[in-house]
Amino acid sequence: MNKINREKFTALSFFLSPMILMVVLFYLVPLVMTVYISFTRMRNWNVEKYLTEFVGFYNYQRLLYMFQHDPTFKAVILTTVVFVGITLIINVFGGLALALATFFISEKPASSFRLLWLLPRMSPIAVYSLVWYYFFHGSEIGTLNSILMKLGIISQPIPWGQTVPWGAWSIIIFVNGLVGVSFGMIVFTSALNQIPKELIIAARVDGASAWEISRKILIPLTKWHFLYVLTWQFLSLLTTYPHIFLLVQWDLVNRDYGTTLALYVFNTAFGRGEQDQGLAAAAAVILSIIGVIGGFVTLKVLQFEKMMKRPRGDF
Amino acid sequence: MKDVETRPSKYEWVIILAILFASLPLILGFSLLVLSSFSKEMVTNLDLSSFRFTLENWINVFQGKLATTGGIRTNILKVTFNTLVVALGVAGVVTFISALSGYSLSRIDFRGRKHMMVLLLILHAFPGVALIVGVYLLYRLTFPQSPDIIRLYSFFYVILARAALEIPMSVWLMKGFFDTIPWEFEWSGIIDGASRIKVWWKIMLPLIKPGILAVALFAFLAGWQDIIYVRTFLIDQTLATFIEANIEAEYSHMPLIAAAGTLYLLPTIIFFLTAQQILLQGYSGGIKG
Repeated sequence: MNKINREKFTALSFFLSPMILMVVLFYLVPLVMTVYISFTRMRNWNVEKYLTEFVGFYNYQRLLYMFQHDPTFKAVILTTVVFVGITLIINVFGGLALALATFFISEKPASSFRLLWLLPRMSPIAVYSLVWYYFFHGSEIGTLNSILMKLGIISQPIPWGQTVPWGAWSIIIFVNGLVGVSFGMIVFTSALNQIPKELIIAARVDGASAWEISRKILIPLTKWHFLYVLTWQFLSLLTTYPHIFLLVQWDLVNRDYGTTLALYVFNTAFGRGEQDQGLAAAAAVILSIIGVIGGFVTLKVLQFEKMMKRPRGDF
Repeated sequence: MKDVETRPSKYEWVIILAILFASLPLILGFSLLVLSSFSKEMVTNLDLSSFRFTLENWINVFQGKLATTGGIRTNILKVTFNTLVVALGVAGVVTFISALSGYSLSRIDFRGRKHMMVLLLILHAFPGVALIVGVYLLYRLTFPQSPDIIRLYSFFYVILARAALEIPMSVWLMKGFFDTIPWEFEWSGIIDGASRIKVWWKIMLPLIKPGILAVALFAFLAGWQDIIYVRTFLIDQTLATFIEANIEAEYSHMPLIAAAGTLYLLPTIIFFLTAQQILLQGYSGGIKG
């Protein structure tokens, strides 16, 4: 190794080793451990007893069996499909709608609204859940119930979250949708701001309305961002659970129809009562396989690699 | 940035009213919570006659009295302090590591650089729930024997584990900030014979102070709002686990929980009012949701 190379090596190890250490410690090692646990009978975190007790594909077979015969697990899978599908549509189109709407109003109210819609993402998850706990509460103290009763639409409070399946689904979709919308909104807003103003001014001079401008100019020019938000949010929705964790924990929503697969994994490994880490790990492995495939498809579709240029400051 | 010609004023108020209507649950939910923290009873049912102003909840929160009657107490200042330690710890670790690797990914060409960046993107999209089982096993296997340091160790571990989740995105964010600095700035330093490490420390870091602030802010909020990791790993209570535990507790006085929730919301509100630009831009980085 000549001098330049050795210097470069020293510098690189200085800059990169803490990050690599963290990735190894908290991504790679745990990943291997999760796969490992999925082949053991680990339960109740009894590491001493179960860590070396191999059961082969037993946990995966159990998952398959549950998928076919267990109504609770069937409800979880169905909930995951419905939840991801509908929330994805809300996130993408809600984000686009918000971005377009704030694009056509003056800067001051626009940025206030954008900020307001970041609130769900920024506020602590426990406070956010607390807000919706009271909003959708099934008795007359629930805000939604009391509004509808005051308006005379309903005479009895409705236990929204315990009305299965759509009551429970609506709540978890609504609560997560609000968090996700801001992602689409911000990406689309920055996309809209990159569009040359001349295009819009020209269309405006020709007498185009806001709706026509959106449909003919703005939306076609944000195609890449649309794909980006769609695939990215799909991956996120498949795997996030913190925002619905407390709603289920507090019994605001029905346990079976308020639990997605990701939350199921967490509750099976760390929840109340009997914990079954072997089963949870097997489900987590399946979830990761879907996630990784989705991640690679995303990279290919969006051609992220083209965005990575060689650094200029190197010689 | 925006010229008058691009937007019509004719229908502006229609759009504003429409967004306002869509935002109503959000505004309502959060304001009722804050309002309830100053009331003798919860005002979630929109019946404003149940609102009677009092500061009692806030006084009780700071004294740790969980119920209006009975002697159940929690040291809420300690709980807030724990939350703060986790948040500051995560912010520190994330900022330090991403300032280091962000620079090298932005400025130094090396074999595997592209792969490393793709890997970081994949890691960010990787299911956190698939990791947490393994992360917990690692925690159990490295758990110290001595009871004196177990608490300290759980803080240490939760900070590192939570920070790791933020690192892929923060490195990308920080790299973006380094990319905006013209490389002539550091070039002169390198020509004079300074090492990359020295250039990074003396020239680059002072130039990307806004970037450091943004990354630190997001990492702080991530650590501050976390519930899953603190609940799983931390032995002491934070505001998140405090609220979680008290919703179902028979003895808890709900307006007091509303006050604790509002206290928990305070940093968010402060950042809302002071760092709006950073928040609007920084979140475009792509955070899960």
